[in-house]
Amino acid sequence: MRAAGKRFAGGRSHGDSRVDQFIEQIITGLSIGSILLLVAMGLSIIYGSMGIINLAHGEFVMLGAYTAWLLQSHFGLGLLASLVPIFIVVAAVGWIIERYVLSLLNNRPLDTILATWGVGIMLQQSVRLMVGSELRYVQMPPSLSDSTDVLGFSVSSYRVFLFFVAIALFAVTWLLMNRTTVGMKLRAIMQDRSVAASFGINAKRVYALTFAYGAGLAGLAGALVSPLKSVSPDMGTGYVVDAFMVVVLGGVQSLAGTVASAFFLGELSGAIAFLQNDTVAKAIVLLAIVVLIRFRPEGLFATRVRT
Amino acid sequence: MTSKTSPHNGIPQLSAQIAPLLLVCALVFALPLILNNDFLLNKIARYLVLGILTVSLALSWGYGGILNLGQAMSFGIGSYAMAMALKLKTIPVHTGSGGLPDFMVWNNVAQLPWFWMPFKSLGFALVAGVLAPALVAAALGWFVFRSRVTGVYVSIITLATMVVLNLVIIDQQSYTGGFNGITDLAQLELFGVAFDAYGRATYYLVAGCVMLSLLVAFAFTHTKAGLVVQAIRDHESRVRYFGYDVAAYQIFVFALSAAIAGLAGMLYTIVMEFASPTFLGVQISLSVVVWCAVGGRQSLVGAFLGAVLVAGMQGALSESAAFLETWTLVMGALFVLVVLFLPKGLAGLAQGVWRAIAQRRQATQEVAGTVGQTREGSA
Repeated sequence: MRAAGKRFAGGRSHGDSRVDQFIEQIITGLSIGSILLLVAMGLSIIYGSMGIINLAHGEFVMLGAYTAWLLQSHFGLGLLASLVPIFIVVAAVGWIIERYVLSLLNNRPLDTILATWGVGIMLQQSVRLMVGSELRYVQMPPSLSDSTDVLGFSVSSYRVFLFFVAIALFAVTWLLMNRTTVGMKLRAIMQDRSVAASFGINAKRVYALTFAYGAGLAGLAGALVSPLKSVSPDMGTGYVVDAFMVVVLGGVQSLAGTVASAFFLGELSGAIAFLQNDTVAKAIVLLAIVVLIRFRPEGLFATRVRT
Repeated sequence: MTSKTSPHNGIPQLSAQIAPLLLVCALVFALPLILNNDFLLNKIARYLVLGILTVSLALSWGYGGILNLGQAMSFGIGSYAMAMALKLKTIPVHTGSGGLPDFMVWNNVAQLPWFWMPFKSLGFALVAGVLAPALVAAALGWFVFRSRVTGVYVSIITLATMVVLNLVIIDQQSYTGGFNGITDLAQLELFGVAFDAYGRATYYLVAGCVMLSLLVAFAFTHTKAGLVVQAIRDHESRVRYFGYDVAAYQIFVFALSAAIAGLAGMLYTIVMEFASPTFLGVQISLSVVVWCAVGGRQSLVGAFLGAVLVAGMQGALSESAAFLETWTLVMGALFVLVVLFLPKGLAGLAQGVWRAIAQRRQATQEVAGTVGQTREGSA
């Protein structure tokens, strides 16, 4: 959607027939979609389970990218090796924010937009004051900087890697939600917080963990996309809008919907950008989403939840 | 019982509510008498215009419960309406045939596009600057509120719509001036008065509009329709069960708010001497929300002062880059604190303090009264 289009770092290796172009578009779309999915997953979990519209999500993405840069330039850690510390750092930031800001706003969903936005400004500005606003660059892992052959097209290995990481993270998240005790508790709270609490579930603790996990995922997303573009304090702003559209389209409380809509939007914006230009693509996608909210506020792929 | 509160619920009487509003207006009008600096007056006029914009948001958000994250869209439409009219009045330097604006010549546009034509008339532009945002808002409101879209989704739709318009304006460079906006404008002339951006006339024009919009908004909140709108904010379905057409009221307050924002946009073009796509950007839209929240979303004067003070402070500190950066950080923190602990903003704080003082005075008076009575009785 926003920035990911046109960045497709592959090239056609043979013929320029219509079919080839079509397949190439599909691959570009998948690449955009996997980045969208990476960024949107954390947002989806936080919004779907806690009802919080986290406008600081873009800043979590930015923090992840900066942590990657810091670990690489000051400690010589490669991107792949630093993924775990990045997750921990950003998740810790998320935990603190949930604990000291958002948990105070229990029954005021609209105010969480404002509060998270204020937090976002603070994070962005702190980074700007501490490391400056000049662009930073993160190096791609050397083992992934060549290209791979996909269906006869040479595609950047890193893009293929991102695709599989996105799928893997989705699988991990799904398992956490559906096959672990914490996930079960979270689903119980989503259905009815007070009944869950009366069964001895500590809702506050589960919420804090959920928010921290969502933030950690955003941090990973930031770290993973950082080699593809430059790192700057305001890089998150574009992502949060795109990610939000993915969540709205996919339907709240539906992880599978998030995946479907991420790839759908990826393909759609890839296709429109190919036919028209990036600006028109953005405008059409946004308009489509406005119309969608009007007629199906529960999202395209929403599953019915008992309330 | 003090004379300032009604006997039943402690809500200040009408005169007590309008007093701060008139006081603020008087201060705004009096300022040029003590401040003899045209450059500074222009700056202050700019903050006053942003104040009007914030009042318009307070109307839809604080009173109507509609958090419009695209308030700057109306602001931008107003601003462009004024800029288009003034652009057509510039003395041609690089212009083509028939006074074609310079950026169109550079973009090889041969003829004035149809939607520019009516702006040759200044009267049309003045009406359009207010009416066009209101009509756009009414159409969007019809689209949104008729289907009972509420809360967060309204905010997303308004934000997305604004971003689309912003993208279109930037993309259609040959018709809108694109990223650079519309610059190099003529001065507005009305009834023989020229409104130089740095002149007194412009300041008083802005001051007059401040008063007008505060009074219009105040009057609306005290009509029956205004009360119904506030009731919808507090409990939408209850009002619907009473038989009111909820969507109609929401559309109306949404459009009224857009009209005031359009007025602010027109003034902004006069004060800044250009129109730019950033005027309908995300940045300004969200800033307005902050000002409104800090000042007090349920107080028109509070929202106005919130904008003037915060924007003014930011402007004063922007002389030094390091200060500005720190200020933005402080701003974010201040905003979070206000949202957490002062949901009614500084105006709510002021009201609370005022009420506490009034109560204490009342209590001492009552004590004094009973003491007096017992003395009379014993005598």
